[in-house]
Amino acid sequence: MRNERQPRTLPASYADIEFENNAQRLPLVLCLDTSSSMAGPPIQTLNDALRSWTRELHDDVSLSYSVEVAVVTFGGQGVCAWRGAQPLPPETPASPFVPAHAFQAPVLAAAGVTLLTEALELAVRIVADRKSELRAGGLQYYRPQICLVTDGLPTDGTGRWTTAWQRLVPTLTDDQRARKYRLYAIGVGDISDMGEQVLKALAPAFNARLHGFPFRELLQMMSASANAEQRGAGDEVFEKIFAQFRTQRPAWET
Amino acid sequence: MRWTGRSGHEPGRRAGRDGGRAVTAPTGQRVLLDGRRVTLGPQPLKGGGQAAVYPVADHGQIVVKLYREPPGAEQERRLQRMLTLTPLGGRPIGPGQPPELAWPTALARGTEGEFLGYAMRRFGEPGHVQLVGLFTRAQRLRLFPERTDWRFMLGVGWNLAFMTARMHYEGLVVGDFSSNNVVVDANGFVTFLDCDSIAFTDPATHEEFPCLMQTADYAAPERLAGGPATRQSDDFALAVLIYQLLTAGNHPFGGVPRDSESETTVKDNIAASRSYVAEPGCVIVPRGVVDPTILPPALLALARRAFGPGVTDPAARPQAQDWLRALDEERRLARVCPDRPRHSHGSHLTACPWCARAAVTGHDVFNDTPSAVPGSSTPTGTRQLPLLPQLPPPPRQGKHQKQRKAVRQPGPPSQQGPTWLPDTARPLAVGLTILVAVLVLVIVVNLAQGG
Repeated sequence: MRNERQPRTLPASYADIEFENNAQRLPLVLCLDTSSSMAGPPIQTLNDALRSWTRELHDDVSLSYSVEVAVVTFGGQGVCAWRGAQPLPPETPASPFVPAHAFQAPVLAAAGVTLLTEALELAVRIVADRKSELRAGGLQYYRPQICLVTDGLPTDGTGRWTTAWQRLVPTLTDDQRARKYRLYAIGVGDISDMGEQVLKALAPAFNARLHGFPFRELLQMMSASANAEQRGAGDEVFEKIFAQFRTQRPAWET
Repeated sequence: MRWTGRSGHEPGRRAGRDGGRAVTAPTGQRVLLDGRRVTLGPQPLKGGGQAAVYPVADHGQIVVKLYREPPGAEQERRLQRMLTLTPLGGRPIGPGQPPELAWPTALARGTEGEFLGYAMRRFGEPGHVQLVGLFTRAQRLRLFPERTDWRFMLGVGWNLAFMTARMHYEGLVVGDFSSNNVVVDANGFVTFLDCDSIAFTDPATHEEFPCLMQTADYAAPERLAGGPATRQSDDFALAVLIYQLLTAGNHPFGGVPRDSESETTVKDNIAASRSYVAEPGCVIVPRGVVDPTILPPALLALARRAFGPGVTDPAARPQAQDWLRALDEERRLARVCPDRPRHSHGSHLTACPWCARAAVTGHDVFNDTPSAVPGSSTPTGTRQLPLLPQLPPPPRQGKHQKQRKAVRQPGPPSQQGPTWLPDTARPLAVGLTILVAVLVLVIVVNLAQGG
C-alpha cells in the first residue's frame, strides 16, 4: 500500500514542518571530519553511506517520526553547519536541524585542516540552542546524540597539531554526566594511537577505533541507538548496542 | 492449530525442497527451525537493543528473531510453552484479516542445539505498517491509502481496543504496548508483534511468565516505578494510543511545564500526572496541538478519566470495553466535511475542525496540498479561535444512543475492516458478523461446559 511519493524538497520556510507532528524530538548531530586526509575513496564512501542512511531514515516510520538531524563538518578552512544538503553561512541564526523525513544528505568534499575542537564546540552549542528552542515551543526531547567521526588528530587553522581540544574535556565530561547528550567519538581509517587517546578523553563512554571506513555500519548504529532512546532504554542497552557494533567488525583493534 | 498452519508456511516442509538449490544468501547465518535448516538474510530487517529480526532465505513469509545475547533457560521455557498455546486462535477471523498476534511458530536453534530465538510470521511493510506511521501526515500519505481519514483512525482505535479486550479475556497482558510494536494494514486491521514479551500464565502448568519489557512513552506510572505489567497498565497504554489516533498523533502527555527550566520528557509528565487533556493549561503545549475537544464527548470523558484520575489510580482507567462502546457509537455518527472529502470528524462538531486548523496553521492534517493559507479566503469561513472546534447545540442523537446494545463480553467477534465497506457489501458483512458471533458463542459455551 506504499505510495511511491518522493519526500518533497525542503521548502524555504520550515513553518509547515513544525506542524507535521508534536512528537517528542530526538536531535542527532553528525560531526564529520572532511579534512584533506579524507580525500578520495573515504569521502566517497561517506557520501554513499549518508545517502543510503538517509533513505533508510525516511523509510523508518518510527525514527522519522521524531529524529531531527543536523550535520557539522570540519575541513577546508573551518567548520560548517549544514541544514540538510545546504551549508549554512557562519553565525546564521537558523537552526541546522531538519526533521528526519525531510532530511537530505549533503554532498561532502574533503580538503584542508582538522578543526575538531571548534566543530565539537559548534555541535554542543547547536544542541543546546535547539533544546531551548524546543522547550520554548512546548516540545519535549529525548537525550540528543552527537556522533563525532574523524580519521586524524585535531589541528589548528594552519594544519598544525594542537592540544586545544583539551579545553573541551571538563565541559564535555560534565555535560555527559548530566545526561545532556550522548557523545560518540569514532576514529576511522589510519587514525593513530594518539588520535584514539583524544577520542577516549572526549567520549569516555562511547569511543571506538576502526579500520577502514565502515560509515554505513556506523550510521546504522546511530539509528539503533536512537531507537533505544525512543524506547526509554537504560544505559546498559546503549552499551550493548555499541559493543555489538564493535564486534560486528572483525577488523576492530582492541 | 498453530499459526504456521494458517499462514501456510511450514518452514520445514519448504526447507526440505531446498537441498539442491543454491543458497541465496551465503553470508547469512544458518539456524534450525523445528530441526530444519534455514538460512537467514545477512542483514536484519529490524534491530533493537535486545534482539534483531532477520528475513529467511526462500521463505518470504516468515522472519526469525534472534536475541543479541544468549537467552536464558527461562526465555527458552517461555517460548516452548508459548508454542503449546494458540491464543485468540479458536476464533474465526474475517476474510482478509491477518492474525492479531505474531505468535511464535518455531524455536530457532544453532547447530549445537542452543536456543537462539524464534520464528514467526512476517508482518512487514508495505502491507503492515507500525502504528506510529499513522501519527504523521507525511508517513500516513506515503504508507496508507489516500482516503485514510479520521473515521479510519476511529476504526483502527476500535480494532486496537478489541484486540486488547480479547487478550485480556484470555488472560494475556500485552505488557510492552506501544506504537512501535503494533502494525496496521491498509484495512485498519491490527496485529501485535513482539509476543515473546507478553505476560501470561500457562493454563496447563500454571507457570507465570511476567512481561519484562516496556516503552517509556506508553508506560503507566506504576510500571515506570518498577511494578509488573497488568491489565490496567495495558489500559493506560491503550488510552494513549487511542488518543493519539484520534488527534493525528498528539501525545496526551506532551508539553513542557510552565515553571520548569529542567528537561521534561513524556515520561516525566506521565510520572508527574501532567496531561493537558485532563488539566488544560498545566503545561505549555506545542504550536498546533489539536484541541482535545475534537474528541466526541463520550470519548473525551474516557480520555480525561485515563489521563486524570486514572494516571495514579489504575482502577479508574477506562477498560478496553469502555473504549469499544464509545468508539462504536462514533463510528456510525462521524460526519464528512462538505468541502474536503478526506476531512471527517465527530458528530458533536458543526464545523470541520481540520479545515479550521488548516486555515489557522496552513497545515492540513489529511491532505498533502496546502489547502488553506492563513490570510487567504477560508472555505469554511471560520474565524474562530485557533484550533478550537465549534460545538453544536445539544446533540439529538441521545435517543439513538440508548437504543444501542451494550457491547458483549468480550466484545464483538471480529476486528472490523473499518469504514470502507461499499453499500452492497454491508448486508453481507452484517450476515457474516452474525454468523461469526454465533460461532463464537458456540465455542464459548463449549469451553464453559468443557472446563
